[in-house]
Amino acid sequence: MVLNREEILERMRRPASDRLGLVITPLLRQKESDVFDADSVDLRLGCYFLLPKTLDQPFFSPDKTSATSLHVRVHVPLGEFLVVPAHQTILGATLEFIKLPSDVSGEVLTKSSVARTFIVVETAPWIHPQYRGCLTLEIANVSNTPVLLYPGRFICQLILMHTADSPEEKPDPSYFGPVYPEAPKFRDPQDDLLKIGVTKVSRLKKTRVNWKNGKWVESQSEVDKW
Amino acid sequence: MQTRLAAFLHDAAVLHTFADFIEEYCKEQARSQRYVDASGDFFRYSESVAHQIKLKIGNDVDRAQSFPPAIALSRIDTLRRNALTFKGYLRLLHTLIKPAADAHTLSIPAPLVKLACEHLKQIEGMDGSKVVVLLTPQLMYFQRPHSHVKQQAAIVGRLIPQAEKFPARLGFIELPYSQGPGFFTNLAIYHEMGHFVYEELSSSPSPSAGIRALQRATHKSVTEFVKLERKPQVRKLAEKILDSWTQEIFCDLLALYLVGPAFSFALVEIFALLGSLSRGKRTTFSQEHPAPACRFAEHLRFLRDASTWWTAIAHIEPQQKKLLAEFATIPRERYRVDGDDAPKALIDPFLDSIIPRIRELVREIAPDPKLAAARFDKTLVTIEDCLSVGVVPHSSTGSPPEPVSIINSAFCFYLTSLPDMVGRFEEGPGASANAEKRSKWTRKLEDWTMKAIEDSQVRTQFERMERDGPQQGRNS
Repeated sequence: MVLNREEILERMRRPASDRLGLVITPLLRQKESDVFDADSVDLRLGCYFLLPKTLDQPFFSPDKTSATSLHVRVHVPLGEFLVVPAHQTILGATLEFIKLPSDVSGEVLTKSSVARTFIVVETAPWIHPQYRGCLTLEIANVSNTPVLLYPGRFICQLILMHTADSPEEKPDPSYFGPVYPEAPKFRDPQDDLLKIGVTKVSRLKKTRVNWKNGKWVESQSEVDKW
Repeated sequence: MQTRLAAFLHDAAVLHTFADFIEEYCKEQARSQRYVDASGDFFRYSESVAHQIKLKIGNDVDRAQSFPPAIALSRIDTLRRNALTFKGYLRLLHTLIKPAADAHTLSIPAPLVKLACEHLKQIEGMDGSKVVVLLTPQLMYFQRPHSHVKQQAAIVGRLIPQAEKFPARLGFIELPYSQGPGFFTNLAIYHEMGHFVYEELSSSPSPSAGIRALQRATHKSVTEFVKLERKPQVRKLAEKILDSWTQEIFCDLLALYLVGPAFSFALVEIFALLGSLSRGKRTTFSQEHPAPACRFAEHLRFLRDASTWWTAIAHIEPQQKKLLAEFATIPRERYRVDGDDAPKALIDPFLDSIIPRIRELVREIAPDPKLAAARFDKTLVTIEDCLSVGVVPHSSTGSPPEPVSIINSAFCFYLTSLPDMVGRFEEGPGASANAEKRSKWTRKLEDWTMKAIEDSQVRTQFERMERDGPQQGRNS
């Protein structure tokens, strides 16, 4: 069952440490209807972004290095804008920091007005109970024109749903409490696959050929990494 | 004459290239990164002054080639001297521009810097002040004296009347680049800001009563010292030493008035990082700094006697508090001066005559610290409650916590409850003692603290708009 405005407000009045308490901060509003619908809360775009880097390799491999090598972080203060070129993707985050209760899951949806500009905000919208942090938003401009994004404007809405109350568990510390958009964290593919018994894993490796004794000889040792 | 003209034309071309680089580099910064307001102002100023120098040089080159032969030599010499002045000024800006460019908003604690600038404006006589942050390769915080830059700017302004004026009340503070994005140790910027305040107040054409009283006390101490030493030549050195010590205590006290005991805790962290808390060093004055024991004794006196902070943090027991108390009990007889022992005779007059005047001066210009301590007392439990479960400090029912309360509560939490928090969220025995995990959770704690400060700034702007309506040109 989806939480309605009254229950959302009641949960928000509880202390942060109450496991049934809900945190959404800062919630800037002159009146409740500025941010609350009957069954959802509107969230604003934050000031930090991760923009894709031009890679030094001809592909993206989701592995250990992707957290630091994929993106460059930028800060766009309130009042300024960020241009998202046509058919480009970036990572942003909500201005609001959120903590979900232990008996509530959440879903983030693009605000309909934003969606009609062909900005798609979430492709992994589910939020687990007890999650805390600013929500990382995968923002894609699927239109044919560049679009301006202004931090501080509404961008998505949060829907909250009851789940069976689960006992307090240790959260995954790698995604715990972020206040900036977070790059994905992966293990190396062979480490993931070994867990299901796969012991042969293909990898791409950069090689170089040297002209030696009248023929091209491949050398891997010179260029160990991409 | 031809040789001298040729030399001038060569110098002018070199200067043009230099000014052109400065102009383009500063322009580029606005396009590539975000900076705190003051840095933006500084880049715009530097860009503009470099542009004006280029125009002036172009104009001077034309003039140099058309002087009548009778006066050409002396006129060209004048132009060369002017060119040297411009070069010297650009060289000065050059040393500031790169470290300012390195200090964009992602590499410094921008919300803290913004807060510190807001605090700076609350100090009597410092309205409209701004601070440019620089990153330094040294593991130390500094304030770059700005009077010299202003003087040079004024000289250039006389030679190029249409050049933009150097921004009024613009200070420069240096942060070690390794500490840039952190939060807790960067509270040291409050001390460095104090140097900027002191420089502004003491160079004012009409100094305040507090400054005059301090100057009289210093003069008397120096005169007695010179008599005692029977060496008139030591006067300058004694003045320099006392001025340095005075500034250090002034800056510490001003930081304490503005940000409370969190500043003392930050200073302990920095001294520990620098190795200044060893038995030998804690009682040692250098020519630039009073001994850590002397400084912390003054901190304790402020926290306990001149404010209500000590009561407010009475039930919190971090090691740092004990250290302050321990340092404060060290008798002054154990103070010594590094190297040459002659300045030791300055310590007693410094403690007895000068420090009381510093206290009066700071009390005169800084806001009353009692209010901040009372607010801290009210919101400490709420803020700790948030941090203990990994949530950005906020209030779910009452008014949102003030930045100084957030800073002090978060610092106390960091000093006393970090191991518990690590143990709560990390798997495995001994997690709370693991250095890597502690470091990771310290960073998270700093992020949440900084986010709370940033939220408070956004909320203040929102509330101001609600109360007064939109303000012209005001932005976060």
